[in-house]
Amino acid sequence: MPAIEVQDLKKYYGDTRAVDGVSFAIEQGEVFGMLGPNGAGKTTTTEIIEGLRLPDSGTVRVLGLALPQNTRRVKGLIGVQLQTTALYPRLTVREVLDLFSSFFPGEKRSTDTLIDMVNLHEKEKALSKDLSGGQRQRLSVALALINKPHIVFLDEPTTGLDPQARRSMWETIREVQKSGATVFLTTHYMEEAQELCDRVAVVDAGKIIALDTPNTLISQHFKESVIEFQLTGEAPPEGTFRKLKGVTRPGIRENGKVTMYTTDSTATLGGLTDLAEAGTVKFDSLYVRRATLEDVFLKLTGKHIRE
Amino acid sequence: MNAFFQLYRASLKEYTRDRMAMFWTLAFPIFFIVLFGIIFSGNNDTVFDVGVVVEDKSQIGTALEQVFVKVPAFKVTEGTRDALLEKLKHGDLRIVIIIPNGVSDSVSSGKTANIETYYDPSNQTTAQIVLNIVEKVVDGFDQQVTKRPTLLAIKPVSIASDRLRAIDWLLPGILAMALMQLGLFGTAPALVQLREQQVLRRIGATPLPRITLLGSQVLHRLTIAVAQTLLILIVGVLMFKVTVIGSAILLAGFVLLGASMFLAIGYLVSGLAKTQESVIGISQLINFPMMFLSGLFFPVDIMPEWIRPVVSAMPLTYLADALRQIMVGATPVYSLGLDSLVVGIWLVVSMALAVKFFRWE
Repeated sequence: MPAIEVQDLKKYYGDTRAVDGVSFAIEQGEVFGMLGPNGAGKTTTTEIIEGLRLPDSGTVRVLGLALPQNTRRVKGLIGVQLQTTALYPRLTVREVLDLFSSFFPGEKRSTDTLIDMVNLHEKEKALSKDLSGGQRQRLSVALALINKPHIVFLDEPTTGLDPQARRSMWETIREVQKSGATVFLTTHYMEEAQELCDRVAVVDAGKIIALDTPNTLISQHFKESVIEFQLTGEAPPEGTFRKLKGVTRPGIRENGKVTMYTTDSTATLGGLTDLAEAGTVKFDSLYVRRATLEDVFLKLTGKHIRE
Repeated sequence: MNAFFQLYRASLKEYTRDRMAMFWTLAFPIFFIVLFGIIFSGNNDTVFDVGVVVEDKSQIGTALEQVFVKVPAFKVTEGTRDALLEKLKHGDLRIVIIIPNGVSDSVSSGKTANIETYYDPSNQTTAQIVLNIVEKVVDGFDQQVTKRPTLLAIKPVSIASDRLRAIDWLLPGILAMALMQLGLFGTAPALVQLREQQVLRRIGATPLPRITLLGSQVLHRLTIAVAQTLLILIVGVLMFKVTVIGSAILLAGFVLLGASMFLAIGYLVSGLAKTQESVIGISQLINFPMMFLSGLFFPVDIMPEWIRPVVSAMPLTYLADALRQIMVGATPVYSLGLDSLVVGIWLVVSMALAVKFFRWE
């Protein structure tokens, strides 16, 4: 039995197609990521599966239970972390956890265990309004773990966190997976999806435009390396870089930043150096790298994931 | 049940840690009482200057005059209509009572006779108290003269009424005001905040039945209403020696009824308001007219005729009237039955609308 099964889900707000015919299935124990820019429909999809919103059409089954008929039961089996994380500002971390704990009837983790899991020992007596963004985010994740959920939903759990706090959140998410739970994660950080997810659905404008493991997605779309640099002088005419040796497809220019894909990076760099010496182009911040999920997104949609 | 208790405890904890909420619901009404108590403290055992004009020199006319003279709180000056009204204008008299020609004829033929009263509307509170006494006196006299059988076995205890001071009159009104503000400012902004910060949504993502959340919030507010009542009574009795005479059960009943009604209005406001700013605006829109038009500080009968229908539609008018009758034995404007009926209707209607407009997100 899959953890989550979604068939042809649709949700429109007026003319906006927030979710426009989304289908997928998630196996138990998987870390599944939805990757896409803000407004792509990630949160709406997530909230329909959590039983917080009703779709206009389409079917959802969570752990074999159809929604919305089994909403109450499903809510007892899943753990939810919402994107906004303000919680009872004048209660302490421990009080918030104790309070939410009382909402679940079945088996659950103790408040001590939860504080331990998200590493909030030194803050357990602090009022939640006095927590930093990262601490509040951790508290919010702890709330999603109270009822030993079969599926944990994390909606952009690292948005607004500094790199160190993000790493520590990733550790927590890996631990959750080790405990046997399925993790459903939305993010607009491609590193995060690449780092954590077994499979990734790339979404844009309410549709899934690609779905596979991060490595398959990358190798499917790119046999090439990526060369990036920043133009400093006058922009050369369109097609200048396309003619360089090894370049496979039209490059993408955004704000003077050029992204090109090549099967022969040595030859392409040589050609680029010639152009620079001839004074045709001026650039700096040049580097060569492997393709990432971001490039996949860029290729599929023609735009960067963060704008 | 555990969730209910935990939620109740959590919201009380949040409340006691929120100084603003504590101030508006507990300190503010006390501040009002102390302020008015001090302003009007000069009126303690005051003798009011009253002018009496006897145009009807019959037996009944003079007898009625004698009744006014015997009221301990009145210092009666007699004279002609013109002379006394002139004195009223100069502020030498609080009120002028005129027993016009024809009173005795009306009484003997069984018709209603009108006793005219003139007072200076710039001194509302005093005028209201004096009018109150006059009414009592006339009532009693009426019964003597017409030998009507007393329908009620027990006459309302009149000690308080005869000597009703400004603070006695104000205290129940301030309690009613505090209950209203608990429902408006103590409830609606907090709910909108819970909604804006998505706490309601977060709770909605758990299996907790929503009714448990609502129930705990209502119990929390009613607890504060009881605290307000006790605090106001204690300050009134200890600081200003207000004699509380009414039944504790009736008082508790009306306090809970009134608090529930304003709570329902608070929930309705939170459903109508989109943001924190608009919730305060809408609450003020309800608070101000009610505060000033429900007879808390100005007696209802000095207001212009066209505004009376508004006044007699407002629930605070009835709640304050009921609390005044129960707590200090003030002269009823309406019967307690009517008071509870009107407040009850407001409760049911607001609750229905609150349910219709309530939003979790």
